[in-house]
Amino acid sequence: MTHSSPQTSNAAKDAPKSRLGLWLTLPAQLLILFVAVFPLLMQLYLSFSDWTPLAGRSWTRAHELWIGFWNYSDLFADPRFWGALWRTMIVIGIAVPVEFLLGLGLATLFMQDFRGKKVLYSTLLVPMMIVPAVAGYMFFLLFQSDGPINGLLSALTGLDVSIRWLTDPDLAIFAVMIADIWQWTPLMFLILLAGLLGVPREQLTAATLLGASPWQRFRTIVLPKIKVIIVIALAIRVIEVFKIFDTLFIMTAGGPGTATETISVFFYKIMTLELAWSYVAAAGLVILIALSILAVAAMYFLPKSKEAGK
Amino acid sequence: MQLSLSFRVFRFLAIGLALVFTLIPVLWMMSMAFKPIPEWSASGDNLTWWPKDPTLDNFRYIFGASSSELLSTLERTAGRPILASLLAATIGTLIAMVVGSSAAYGVSRYGSGKNLPLALIQLRLFPPLAVMIPVMVMWTFLGLTDTWYGLSLVYGIVTLPFAFWLMKTYFDDMPIEIEEAALVEGCSRFRVLTRVTLPMMRGPLASSALLVFILNWSDYLIALMLTTRDWVTIPVYMASLSSSMTGQLYGAKAALGLIAAVPPVIMGILIQKHLVRGLTFGALKQ
Repeated sequence: MTHSSPQTSNAAKDAPKSRLGLWLTLPAQLLILFVAVFPLLMQLYLSFSDWTPLAGRSWTRAHELWIGFWNYSDLFADPRFWGALWRTMIVIGIAVPVEFLLGLGLATLFMQDFRGKKVLYSTLLVPMMIVPAVAGYMFFLLFQSDGPINGLLSALTGLDVSIRWLTDPDLAIFAVMIADIWQWTPLMFLILLAGLLGVPREQLTAATLLGASPWQRFRTIVLPKIKVIIVIALAIRVIEVFKIFDTLFIMTAGGPGTATETISVFFYKIMTLELAWSYVAAAGLVILIALSILAVAAMYFLPKSKEAGK
Repeated sequence: MQLSLSFRVFRFLAIGLALVFTLIPVLWMMSMAFKPIPEWSASGDNLTWWPKDPTLDNFRYIFGASSSELLSTLERTAGRPILASLLAATIGTLIAMVVGSSAAYGVSRYGSGKNLPLALIQLRLFPPLAVMIPVMVMWTFLGLTDTWYGLSLVYGIVTLPFAFWLMKTYFDDMPIEIEEAALVEGCSRFRVLTRVTLPMMRGPLASSALLVFILNWSDYLIALMLTTRDWVTIPVYMASLSSSMTGQLYGAKAALGLIAAVPPVIMGILIQKHLVRGLTFGALKQ
């Protein structure tokens, strides 16, 4: 079930070096060159200038607007950048654990067979298949002041509830997190259930017969088996939530003010509203470098947990 | 294993609660799509989960076929954005699948392109907006902004990691003996690929393509950045819909949202078995 990245098959060593392999990988290499290597160099170049699309000259002449490291020093002194980063971290710190716990809880309930399991399973997976922008719109509708959430609350309490979910600076970020939790708990559920179903049933039964409590069974039998899977699931969600844009932007557009402005929204707004493209280029590079360092650090720690999972 | 009654009751309640939480947003938007204007607001005793007076007006409206006195006629109907979404997602899927699966085969069988697996994962790691500036500069420079091919190309690149990794795990899983037998029979390596391997991979290719299509179809951000008018996709068009008279066009947008949401849900259920593998880059199989 668990599957560390597979080694290249033996044929590669046996077969005489085939040109076919090179030809087959060439288009992918070219695309990477075209979208990763070349653009990154361009981004680096622009980040040292004051170039904007309104600068009245082509980007190739951005060096005429050379400002050295100004964009970078501006960025590190920009409270809006740090604010956006901080809010992104908050969303990660709350939404991902909630998704994980809900997903894990739900997955344990699906370990045994029961009637209607298949249909329920498919239904619970629906949110992650909804177009994120549409999911954002669903929650936009739900959280309107005259929307059904306030309607339900009014009906339950008998009061006239009209909470401004999306326009209250303190509440908006939670509304956004609820939408993310709604959409992506199913992914956690899906991945963790796949992991749980790989735990040998006999071991669990034996442990139960020997009188192990559910918690003991989970900690000593299940957890070691699904450790790697948990790491993968969490890593995927952390990476994706860090990029969060679609649902959030449809719901609040980063507002009110900057109350829900995450890092992607920050990029978007500076790019489209202030047209400070070279500034965004610098900010983007800083994020890329920070993420790469984190990724390398994670790679360094991951092999250990992989062995532990075997 | 015999389960206690209390556990079963608990399971029933917990799954029931999850089901309600899952369905409420979907149900509300679905019913909104069929609600006439007076029912759009849920204030007062208007909180109805089912349209009292169901109508297809919202659908007619977005396709430009009707407009009531409250709504001005749309300047641009939904037909073109639907076409744009279909075209860009399809061509993007084609690019990702052709480039991705041939690279996957090269890596899996011949050990070429050793940098690819990691490079493609990295592509997924970064927020698109952090690397959008050079793409936008280039696209403007090359005249690719607001064209279906410019958008498709980016889609193909963005979903390439999924196509590559998914197909790589399938090729890794495929027994090599069959291909070796064909080689011994005197087939060229290329013929082995086209006549033996690919036909055997029809299933995995189809499910990978569906997953990639869902991902492309789901995009909002890239189309928002790279299209302006002629080739805006459904989500971009939906977000831009509003009327000077009524502000938010709740019902019309809900109708459009429903149209956008249905295809990936159906496809997703079709490829349910492959979802775990696809979304974890082949790290997990089901």
